[in-house]
Amino acid sequence: MLEITGLTRRFGDVTAVDDVSFDVRDGIMTGFVGGNGAGKTTTMRMVMGVLGIDAGEVRWRGRPVTAADQRRFGYMPEERGLYPKQRILDQLVYLGQLKGMEAAVARRAAEEHLERFGLAERSGDRLQELSLGNQQRVQVVAALLHRPTALVLDEPFSGLDPMAVDSMADLLREHASTGVPVLFSSHQLDLVEKLCDRLVILSRGRVVAAGDAEDLRSRGPLRYRLTLDRDAGWVREVRGIHVVDVDGRTALVEVVDEGAEQVVLREATARGGVREFAPVRPALADIYREVAA
Amino acid sequence: MTTTLTPTQPAAADEPRAGRSAWTLVARREIVVKLTDRAFVIGTLVTLLIIAGVMGWQAWSAQRTTTYTVAATATDRAMADRLASDAHGIDEGLEVRVDGAADAAAARALVTSGDADAWLHRSGDGWVLTTDSEEKDALTRVTQQVVRQATLAQQADALGTSVAQLEAGSTVTPQLLSGDAEKAGLAQGVAFAFAFLFYIATLTFGITLANSVVEEKQSRIVEIIATSIPVRQLLVGKIVGNSVLAIAQMLLYAGVGLVGLSLTPYASLVPSVSGPVVWFLVFFVAGFAALAALWAVAGALASRVEEVQSTATPLTMLVLGVFFGSLFLDGTAKVVASYVPPFSAVLMPTRVLEGTASWWEAVLALVLLLAAAAFVMRVAERLYRRALLQTSGKLSMKQAWHAPE
Repeated sequence: MLEITGLTRRFGDVTAVDDVSFDVRDGIMTGFVGGNGAGKTTTMRMVMGVLGIDAGEVRWRGRPVTAADQRRFGYMPEERGLYPKQRILDQLVYLGQLKGMEAAVARRAAEEHLERFGLAERSGDRLQELSLGNQQRVQVVAALLHRPTALVLDEPFSGLDPMAVDSMADLLREHASTGVPVLFSSHQLDLVEKLCDRLVILSRGRVVAAGDAEDLRSRGPLRYRLTLDRDAGWVREVRGIHVVDVDGRTALVEVVDEGAEQVVLREATARGGVREFAPVRPALADIYREVAA
Repeated sequence: MTTTLTPTQPAAADEPRAGRSAWTLVARREIVVKLTDRAFVIGTLVTLLIIAGVMGWQAWSAQRTTTYTVAATATDRAMADRLASDAHGIDEGLEVRVDGAADAAAARALVTSGDADAWLHRSGDGWVLTTDSEEKDALTRVTQQVVRQATLAQQADALGTSVAQLEAGSTVTPQLLSGDAEKAGLAQGVAFAFAFLFYIATLTFGITLANSVVEEKQSRIVEIIATSIPVRQLLVGKIVGNSVLAIAQMLLYAGVGLVGLSLTPYASLVPSVSGPVVWFLVFFVAGFAALAALWAVAGALASRVEEVQSTATPLTMLVLGVFFGSLFLDGTAKVVASYVPPFSAVLMPTRVLEGTASWWEAVLALVLLLAAAAFVMRVAERLYRRALLQTSGKLSMKQAWHAPE
């Protein structure tokens, strides 16, 4: 498990990361969410040891992380870059060797991963000859090649087409299922929602929410959608609720006083037919908007 | 196709194997990439061709003789024959053939038609060498000498004496108090050649090194590398890789040059050049390593390839200074500078070659140069490490020095 405690980093007068704490648990995909400049990349770079830490600590398996530990992590930096002019397989083998792999082992692993992404026949091409999406796949292969003990991926899904997103997601899940903690950042909330078991939301350098994706959702405001046979305008008169939206026969209401939804339902049945009365689970995007506001 | 994954082993306490010898991997990559770079290979081949071409031309033109046909009428035939027999002895590259002409008009016609290169005839008190539209310098020089000798001999005879007697006591022979003329000239030539090679090699490979550093920085692959191996290993690997390439290229050029030299009339000089070349190479390696570390810093200070030119300016000036220093420094300044790194890299082996420095002076200068290289390497490592991950624009040395990690 990776434990991040009180991590702080200042650039001049700006505190980019301010007392950030969260866990990345073994075998679990942790999504790192936040807008531009929220401090995701800075945090990840500190976790990887490429950026100094002003305060706080990164712990790995219960003790302070060492450079040797970090070398066994898999890392995908924010801005993509391998050697544009070098052949794909050659540079993957080189990066594998830098991670301590034997050349032959690195070559086999690289070929397997390239095949998986449908890039086997392009392995002799120069990186710059590939489309951006394919370059991204090669980048991921570079991070996974040496069977990392932990994965830290900065925006691994950006620039991928839906097919590639699926195969990337499968690959990450597969790695997580072997007990590897996976931390990845994304601004695509729907994707994070689909993939993540846990969630850390960062805003202006601070953690504003962290925990189980389910828990976070249930922490959101409780809302009900009501669909009637007739006009639903009357819900505005009911006390103890907040009407989010009324559109003809449909209304979205938020419960302010506990039990108020029952009042709405009784009133509705008294006034005629009820087509639908259902709780609306807030999307991650709603939670994000709420906490990051 | 699926990849089977086995659960990862608990992290070993020791450093990954590559962590210790990673610089060899980095150096190897630098070399392989360069050797498979078409521009580099073609550039090297073209330079080799130019060196071989220059040497070949030297050898060829040394053996070449030009034959001139000189027209002469019967009255001037004796002088023309004398020219034909003496010409090759005066200028090895020249031979004269005589073409007899019936009269002046016929001789003139031979020159005009191009059948003869010149017409030698007497006119008034002297002799005239008539050519068609351009003077034949080499022929004129030889003719002047032959005619002068012949006339002198004739007149000496008439005076009852000889040319030798007339010229007795008039020779001037240059003499050097120390060394000999040939060696001094050679030392100058070789010193210039090496100063130039050092200048070219440090500049081209320095810029290559700086660019490869900034390319890694710009593409952010350096973040992946920095999480794989210690930054020091990356720096050392890049310096070693580029130094090996630079030295190999220089050996290649020097080798082809020496082989070429042995085919020219200067062949006898080859053994006396080969010895000092070793001193030059030793100083080259040390000097290059010290400067290479600075080039790596120049690359790290930039954040885009376009900025390298400006971050490398002080370094370019320094390299230029070393080159001009080796050409123009003299006397005490030269002696002092031959101990000062990086000037010593070129000046000390030059002084050894000239015979003005003894071996212990060379060793002292080498120790100083190596110490400077080691010191520069330490400073460069700090600057490199701190500048490498700063991606927002150009940095100054001072900013890099104080930059947080």
